[in-house]
Amino acid sequence: MAGIGFELRKMLRKDSYLSEMSAYLYAAMVSSGPWLMSVLCLAVLGLYSYSGFSQQDQDIFRTTIVYVYAFTLIYVGYIQLVVTRYLADKFYLGEEKITLTAFYSSSVIVLIAGAIIGVGGIWFFELSFTYKIIAVVLFLIVAMIWLAMIFLSAVKDFRSIVQAFAVGTTASVGGAFFFYPLIGLEGYLLGYTLGQSLIFFWLLARLLAEFPAGRVWDSKMLTYFLKYWELALIGMLFNLAIWVDKIMFWFAPDSRMVVPYLRTHDMYEGPIFFAYLTIVPTLAIFLVKIETKFYEHYHDYFAKIISKKELSSILLEKQGMITMLKESLREILIVQGALTLFCILMASNFIDIVGLSPIQRPLLQIALVGSLMQVMLSVAVIILFYFDLRKEVLAVTLVFLLTNMGLTYLTMQLGFTFYGYGYCYSCFISLMFAYYLVSKSVHDLEYLTFSSQPII
Amino acid sequence: MSKQETKEKEYDVCLLLEGTYPFVSGGVSTWIHNLIKGMPELTFTAVCILASSKEKAEYRYEVPENFVDPQIVYLHDPIEMKRSMFGGISKDNIERLRRFHYRLDRNDLKMMKEMVELFRENKFPLSELMHGKRAWELMVERYKADQNKESFIDFFWTFRFTHLPIFKMLPRELPRAKVYHTISTGYAGLLGVIARVMTGRPLLLTEHGIYVKERKIEISQAEWVYRKEDDRMRIESKLGAFQTFWIRMFEQLGKLCYDYSSAIYTLYEGNRQLEIQEGADPDKIRIIPNGISLDNFLGLKAEDHDYMGQTEFAVGFVGRVVPIKDVKTFLRAIKIVAIKIEHLKVYIMGPTEEDEEYYEECVNLVKLLHLEDVIEFTGKVKVTDYLPNLDVIVLTSISEAQPLVIMEANCAGIPAVASDVGSCRELLEGRTVADQALGPSGIVTKVADPVATGEAISKILTSPILRQKMSKAGIERVKTFYKESELNKTYLKIYKDYMAMDNLE
Repeated sequence: MAGIGFELRKMLRKDSYLSEMSAYLYAAMVSSGPWLMSVLCLAVLGLYSYSGFSQQDQDIFRTTIVYVYAFTLIYVGYIQLVVTRYLADKFYLGEEKITLTAFYSSSVIVLIAGAIIGVGGIWFFELSFTYKIIAVVLFLIVAMIWLAMIFLSAVKDFRSIVQAFAVGTTASVGGAFFFYPLIGLEGYLLGYTLGQSLIFFWLLARLLAEFPAGRVWDSKMLTYFLKYWELALIGMLFNLAIWVDKIMFWFAPDSRMVVPYLRTHDMYEGPIFFAYLTIVPTLAIFLVKIETKFYEHYHDYFAKIISKKELSSILLEKQGMITMLKESLREILIVQGALTLFCILMASNFIDIVGLSPIQRPLLQIALVGSLMQVMLSVAVIILFYFDLRKEVLAVTLVFLLTNMGLTYLTMQLGFTFYGYGYCYSCFISLMFAYYLVSKSVHDLEYLTFSSQPII
Repeated sequence: MSKQETKEKEYDVCLLLEGTYPFVSGGVSTWIHNLIKGMPELTFTAVCILASSKEKAEYRYEVPENFVDPQIVYLHDPIEMKRSMFGGISKDNIERLRRFHYRLDRNDLKMMKEMVELFRENKFPLSELMHGKRAWELMVERYKADQNKESFIDFFWTFRFTHLPIFKMLPRELPRAKVYHTISTGYAGLLGVIARVMTGRPLLLTEHGIYVKERKIEISQAEWVYRKEDDRMRIESKLGAFQTFWIRMFEQLGKLCYDYSSAIYTLYEGNRQLEIQEGADPDKIRIIPNGISLDNFLGLKAEDHDYMGQTEFAVGFVGRVVPIKDVKTFLRAIKIVAIKIEHLKVYIMGPTEEDEEYYEECVNLVKLLHLEDVIEFTGKVKVTDYLPNLDVIVLTSISEAQPLVIMEANCAGIPAVASDVGSCRELLEGRTVADQALGPSGIVTKVADPVATGEAISKILTSPILRQKMSKAGIERVKTFYKESELNKTYLKIYKDYMAMDNLE
């Protein structure tokens, strides 16, 4: 994430309103853009559901997309942070030439594992053979998009990412609309898949243009999975934690089987996904404001230590860091809080616009609060990552995963009125825990920095 | 030999040696070697402290049969450690550690025994001291952030480097012995203190050079200890905070060793004074000068040497041509002598290649003083070949302990002119009343004083009666007070007395 900070500050220095806005946009895109894009994509497709699509086809399609995104995010998660770390280390050493080799190696891993998971997962659904083939292809392409994103964000090529997504998402929607009338459900998915492929190949082309060709296999990268096993676990489990409540709801008593084994929960998913869209401003503000400023404090703090300053001036620098963090968190709370509050008050109107049922209104409202917590949680996690506190992040991740599982199960038992509270409280508990760890770590920062030094 | 057996076995004397015998050759090592060899009836063992296992430890001596089972401790070797979940330092124990340090500040060493015991009960695991929270907090507290303006990162590393060897020494298993004898303070001294505290057996200390003083010189010249830029600009050379840190630690180790030693031995009065300055109890200190084997030197100068009729003179300088020997002062002194005395020959006997640049400067100075015909650099030679023909031996060193050259000169019956360093005055004028009664065997001059040195040389050369008297006094002095066999007898008696002693405390 450190890389984003540099690029953003460069953008901010241009000092024009427009470039500042684009910086906000880039930031939002990078941190959780792809998923937002797909939610948006589903929303657009959903809004036009009345225009001649059969309800059954619509459900199958939407559920397929959700499954694909959920499971690719979870399983590419194990590679995401490890590769990010590997690239950061290599770039630091000036070994950019390793990038494509690393990309090829991780592609091999992602494709092999993805093919097994994709085929194994999709094959048992009672769908046509062609549809399943396309679904597996989509599964692999989306996984590869995540992977390409990691590499492109490592070189701070956010422009390409945004362009690729803008064009690709449009193409996905267009393709779906174009092919559905021609060949039905398979066409619907095929059109969408073509658009996603466009994103992938766009990103791939950028990658190939950016870096010199390299070997195909990079065995050194694999050692990073052993060395940074916490990162592999965090990447996978954090995404699982985000999704686990949705997955559990597919098996709730009032869930529904669209076709055998392809399950969905009509009441739960929609509000949660829409609520998720409201965190865009926070992600943007955080990445631009906190990350750039925080990085400066972080940098100055360590610069003071290294340049042989006395402890009192190091502590003074840290005080600045703490003040800045507090201010930024307050700012997030004000901006995101205001937006969340606005959305809660306007919930009825939103429900009308996006076509949800009025009984989902309380669920949307609690999901909005949950999203607020979740985005603050991400902020805390990123700060912990700055201090390289991998074990602490892993602890937060486990708390998030386990509370979300436990509380979601509880709310499922308690009934519809409690839906969403499990997710919301899980986010709240994890946030408190993460916040406690952040404040403890910042308090003990010198201790953590120095005492972890090997003896000689 | 298995560990169990080693533990069971009780030796007569356990020597605690830092960077010396039997792995390093030198004056002190030879002294130790002769001591062990001279007492075949006692069994000796040793704990030898060396810098790191990277440098190969090879015996430099053919060790006597009564020197057995030496252990080696590597001061700077990396150590493996595991951090256990439950191995933390308790609140009480960290409080004790804190109190111990504040007492150290006031030179109060009462808690040492308690500390050693806690360390040996593994109440302070190394991993916790290095990586634990409580130890960290104590370290930060000692740094005193509110007033300290020194670099924190350097404080941290200085703290680690100074403490790590101590942490390594404290839990160490030591051989069982009736007497522990350390040949320096410092880390070896610390091992001695641990042995003394844990076994109750007496600890003896023999210091040839004063460890703390040597470390002070070393540290104040060290480049690797960080000093703030502005400190370097000051005209007055003042030690930086981290140099002070190191020095204070060695001072405290020294004080500790002095306190726990039952007796302290050193070579001459000057050292005794330094030890008292560093906190040693004057009543404990006894001077035992080094001895010399007389056989090689006695009778070198012919009994019937004709002092009166002598017209040609030879002056000798024995030593390496290096700045610490201050050869330049010697050369200037010779100029003064050469003006007065016509037939003069001067030999500078010692290797010249150690400091080529300094040697070059000396050769140039010889030319400048027009002494080319008088002075000869012989290089490394067998001194006994030259001794019979010498009339005076000169020593102009800036620093010495108990220089062998002067003892040899005494022994050979050659008067000496020596700067007032180390035990030169004792060797030339006598230490005890009985010794002084023998009369001087040479003249002591101020350090770096060519005029006084030159005059002293001239005085001896131009006065045959004085020369003859000095020659006799020198031979007598060495025979009576500096016999090597006497030295061994003295130490044997000391060992036997302390071995027979009941356990202390």
